[in-house]
Formats: sequence, structure tokens, C-alpha cells
Amino acid sequence: MERSEPPTSKTQHDRGIDARRRLLAIALGAVLLAPGCVPPGKPNPDDRPKTPGQIVDFDVLFRHRCSGCHGADGKLGPAPPLNDPLFLEIISVADIEKIVRDGRHGTPMPAFARSSGGTLTDAQIKILAEQIPARWKSDKKPESPPPAYRLASSDEAGGTVGDAKRGEALFERACAECHGEQGDGEFSEAGAINDPAFLGLISDQALRRIIITGRPDLGMPTYAESEGRPSDYQPLTSDEINDLVALLASWRQRGDVAMQP
Amino acid sequence: MIGWLKSIGRWIDVRIGFSETLLPMMRHPIPRAVDGPMGWWYVFGSASLTFLMLQIVTGIGLSLVYVPSAEEAYDTLLYLDYQHPFGWFLRALHYYAGSGMVVMVLVHMTQVFIHGAYKYPRELTWLVGVGLFACTLGMFFSGQILRWDPDAYWGLAVAGSMAGRVPGIGPQVVELLLGGPIIGAGSLSRFYALHVFVIPGALLTLVGLHLWLVLKCGISAPPVAGEPVNPATYDAAYHEELKRGVPFLGDAIMKDICFSALAVIVVVCVAAIMGPKGPSGPPDPIVSGANPRPEWPFLWIFALLALSPPSIETFIMLVLPVIVIVALMLVPLVSNRGERAPSKRPVAVLLVIVVYTALGVLTYQGVVAPWSPVMDAWTGDPVPVNLVKRSTPRELQGALVFQYKNCRNCHALDGIGGRRGPDLTTIGTRLTRNKMIDQVSNGTPGGGNMPAFGKQMTPDEMAMVVDFMVSLRPERQPPAGAPRDLVASGEQ
Repeated sequence: MERSEPPTSKTQHDRGIDARRRLLAIALGAVLLAPGCVPPGKPNPDDRPKTPGQIVDFDVLFRHRCSGCHGADGKLGPAPPLNDPLFLEIISVADIEKIVRDGRHGTPMPAFARSSGGTLTDAQIKILAEQIPARWKSDKKPESPPPAYRLASSDEAGGTVGDAKRGEALFERACAECHGEQGDGEFSEAGAINDPAFLGLISDQALRRIIITGRPDLGMPTYAESEGRPSDYQPLTSDEINDLVALLASWRQRGDVAMQP
Repeated sequence: MIGWLKSIGRWIDVRIGFSETLLPMMRHPIPRAVDGPMGWWYVFGSASLTFLMLQIVTGIGLSLVYVPSAEEAYDTLLYLDYQHPFGWFLRALHYYAGSGMVVMVLVHMTQVFIHGAYKYPRELTWLVGVGLFACTLGMFFSGQILRWDPDAYWGLAVAGSMAGRVPGIGPQVVELLLGGPIIGAGSLSRFYALHVFVIPGALLTLVGLHLWLVLKCGISAPPVAGEPVNPATYDAAYHEELKRGVPFLGDAIMKDICFSALAVIVVVCVAAIMGPKGPSGPPDPIVSGANPRPEWPFLWIFALLALSPPSIETFIMLVLPVIVIVALMLVPLVSNRGERAPSKRPVAVLLVIVVYTALGVLTYQGVVAPWSPVMDAWTGDPVPVNLVKRSTPRELQGALVFQYKNCRNCHALDGIGGRRGPDLTTIGTRLTRNKMIDQVSNGTPGGGNMPAFGKQMTPDEMAMVVDFMVSLRPERQPPAGAPRDLVASGEQ
């Protein structure tokens, strides 16, 4: 009786051993394989903590230091777009570097150099200045050479050598359709630009740049585009742009009450 | 071979007497009810002990590499993380097992409190337990300092400032804590000594005492409603109960082992998946972008201090911890008799719920820390594109001033940016132009949170930024105070 065990219990017993062996094999396999696979918690040497001054990745630098005003992709921010092939066509790397380093006097563009109380090292500023054109400058050249970026070099102090009187006629043709007569913004869609407070926060150099490049991200035409302008519109020349800048600069002086109550 | 080992064992046992002392201890009877499912309530203490042992082993491993000097501490952590084989895992395990230990100690304490297990005759066990709890938190805090990254540096700076507020002997306490009036090379050595010698010594002594008391007083039976503790009769009744008891070395220890094993497996997995905590960056006090946070067990204090008025800060720093510890110690002294079942002790249950809810809410606030400005928001958080697209040149210029003057570091637009001040996405519907100028110029009335920007902005900047803020409102919704204000501002 004792020797003849029921066959069912025997197979159950065997199955139990089988299951245990299988479990053991899986466990052994897991132990052997474990060193081969990389656990997700293993720190990646690339993620080593960096001090802010050690960051050399353009995307990170741009995201942290530029996108607040110039937009996430270098456009559609309140400040003029950097992701603008025409702008990058006319400006030099050295000029970008200088602006990032020292800021743009008379505008909210701050100086980023550590020597000026900013947050970027010289090396980082260089990376930004070189990478912005490298990323966003277009390969194909414009058909006719665009006007120079800089204001007439004879007047470095910030004043313009343009003529505001000549500028008035030009304004009528090139700007009034969207910004209203005398730039008052009335019955127009783009809004006023004759406000002394507005002009008080934008330099003549920045005005020249905006007139040349427009704001392609917001629909403002470049110096050459005729959309919304008279049919016989001709691209503005460098001198004409200076005249327009002079006109706007004269409006800047006009108001003595900058702040309305 | 086995026979040989057995004879060595016998040789030792005859002299040391394990089989006469330790074995009976392990086999000591415990109440029969622990044998059933209620026994799972009793596993948290042993899990805490398991984590403590894991901490000792991993801690010894770490100490073989770690150099407790301000010059080298940070670099040795990087070496462990990136070069030493499995050094990162050792660090991760030490961190998560430490976190697990805090969790287990808390759960264990809560269970003992809810089940009234601290009542007669186990008052002293609870008191020693409170000491163990304090030591565990002390280990966590001192361990965080050893990481010697900005979190550690500033955590220490806060601790030093707190200690400096002790009336009368503040400077001396700071000197003792930091090894000088300010954080210096000696500060790290002090905390290394605390973390490796002083607190572990106290911890192990108290653990021994705690275990002895557990053995001496026995494990409390699961609470039964309607059977209050009466010190006069408890011992006899418990003695009777143990006569029907079961040995600890049986089902109970199996439950302990199972749970501890599970807890260790969870911690090992979490450590492998999450990796080591920090170090977040070199401890450079001139890096202004540092955003230090205390470790999670202390986030609630961080939140409590941030949200309290300055006038009661000193109270929270110096008096509140004393009150908490004293209150915990008084628990078994003021109520060492009476009902143990939670169903008969609504106040105790309610207290646990209220305390954990408060700690949870404060910890959540500590994680999101809406009171901290986002220092990079002014250059790093783009102005929402939909706002840019509909803005006039003046409003665009105002948006630039808004970013440039760091408004964004405290005020979000479309939910992005700082959260210290209100989100200004629809401010144009709430404040009139004049109110905005007043608020920006003079700050929050009565010395509130918002600083006065009047002297930091030119009139042009003020005009533009207010233009921008007036435009911050849903389309076709008039600005606040229209129409009179519209006329005043020159808008039609």
C-alpha cells in the first residue's frame, strides 16, 4: 500500500520540481544577464552637472538666454526675430557678438557679458554669435544686395544723417498704409509707432534694422516688398531708410510728456 | 565538513551560550492573534531595522571612497557616479534605503500610535522610539550635507542661520555646528563625524535598548475594542495570553522576513531605475541660479517657513521642533491606559489624519515652491506667441520691458513663468491703467511681496509696459474701468 503511490500525486510532485527548476533557470538567467543590460538609473557621463558657465550647447544657451524675448525658435517673440535670413544676410558675426556682449544701448536688449554683470562667458557669447547665422542664415543670396545693416557710419553717436523732411514722403508710401498717417496708428491694423515712449525704447540702429528686415514673423514687409504698398513702389535705398529713421527720431523728440497718467 | 562546522559551533556555544539565551529569545511566545492576518501590522519595525542594516553596509561601502573634505567631497561623488563600477548604484541604494527607513519608521510609529501599542507597559519603548525617529531624521539631514552640492551648501546655510537665532548662545551653537561662524572647510568634517560616528552610535544604542524593551515587555496583542488597558491587571492578563501564545520564531518571523525582503527588493529596483540623487552641481555660492531644496522629509518645514509671516519664523524654527518632540514623548505618559482599538479612539485617528494631511499639503507646496521666483524666466520663458501675434508695436515693446525688468520671474503669462505673483494673462480686465502704474511704481501696498519698480523704470518703460498689460485681456473684452479709462489712455 505504502509503496504504490497514486500516479497523479507523482506527476504533481514532478511538476512541482519542474516549476522550481524553471524558476531557478529564470532567476539564474536574470542574474547572468543583469550586468549586460544598463539599468535606467545609471548616470550618463554626458549628464554631469555643469555650472552655468560650462554650458556650450547652443540650443540650451538660446533656450535659457534668448528665447524669452526673441521667441522659442528665434521668431515670434516681442523682440525682432533672429531666425530671419535677411537679417542674418546683413549683419556680421562680429556685430552679433558685440550686441550680445554689450547689449543694445537705448533698447531693452541687455548686455550678457559677465564683465557687464551679465550671465554669459565670452566663449558662450561667441557660440551664440556663430551659431545663430549657422542655423538660420539662408544659403541663397538675395537677387539685389540689401542695404547695409549699420546706420551711416559718419554718425556713430546714434543720431542719423538722414533727412526727416524727405522721410515724410517716404513714410506716406512705405509705412502709412499699416501704421497710419504720421504713424498714429489710426484706422490701421499694425498700430501706432509715433509714440515718444515707444521710440524712446528703440534705437535708431534698431529702427533701421526693422525697416530693412520688416517682421516676417508678424507680416511686416521688408524694405523691398511691395505688398500693401503703392503699385509703383521701389525698394528703399540705404539713404531713404536713413531718412525714415530720421523722421521717426524726430517724433521721438517731439513729445515732452512721455508717460500718460 | 558539516560535522566539523557543527563541532566548532558547539565549541563556541558552550562558552558564549547562544542556545541558552538567544534561541529562547527568538522562540519567546507572542500573542496568538499575531499569527493571523493581523500579524502583518507588526512588520514595519523589523523593516526599519532591515533598512538600517542595509544603510550600514552601503554606508561602509561609500565611506571607502568618499573623502570628507570640502575640496574633494564633490569629486569623489562624481567618481562614484561615473567611474567606480556600481558606485552609482551604491549611492542610489544608500539614498533610497535611507528614504525607505524614514518611511518605515513613520509607518511603524503610526501603527503603534493607532493601535495604542505604546500604552502600559510599553511607554519606555515608545520614548526610545521617538529618539530613534529623531536619529533617523538626523541621519537624513547630515547625509544630505555630505553630498556637498548647492542643496547641501544652502541647506547648511539655513540650518546655521536657524541655529544662530537661539537666544543668548546662538553664536556658540553656530560655532559648534559649522566649526566657525560661517560655512567653511571644517563644516563638512563636523557633519561627517555626525553622520558616521555620533548619530549612528546613538542610533545603534537606542536600537539595542528598543529591542531589549520589545523582548522584555513583549509584543502587544492586536487591539480589541472593549478591552481597555489597566496597568493594575494588564501584566497578569498578558501573561495568561502568552500561555496560549505562539513562538516568535515561526509565522511571525516569516512575515517579518517576507515583508523586509519585499521592501528591499522595491528599494533595489527604485535605486536601479531612479539612480543616485545628485550631486546637482558644484557647491559654488556665487552661482546665482542655484535653486536649492531640502530633502523630502524636510520639505514641509521649508514650506511652513516660506508661508508663515516673518514674525513667527523664530518660533517655528526653535520652539516648534521642541514642541513636536515633547508632544511625541508625552503621548504614552498622558495616556498609558484605556482603550487601544482605533474604533474607540476617534481623537487619535483624527489626529493622525490631520497631521498627515497637513504634512502632505505642506510637502506638496514645498515641491512646487510657488513662492520662489524663477530666476531664468525673463530670458528663458518665451512670451506666448498668441500674445505677440496680436500686439501693436507699442505692446511688443512693453512685452520686452516686461521680460527685461524680470516681471516674468514672478508673474506667469499663460501659466508659464514664476508663480510668486499672480498670473497676468488677463490683468487688463482686472486693473485699470492708473492702478497698474501705481502698483508697478509702488509695489504691493503695506510692504507686501511685490517690490516697488518706480525708481527702476524710466517713464518710457513704464508707459510701454502698462500698454502691454492693458492689452492682456481676452479678445473683445474691454479693459478694466472702461470707458473713462480708455479715453484717458488715448485708446479708442
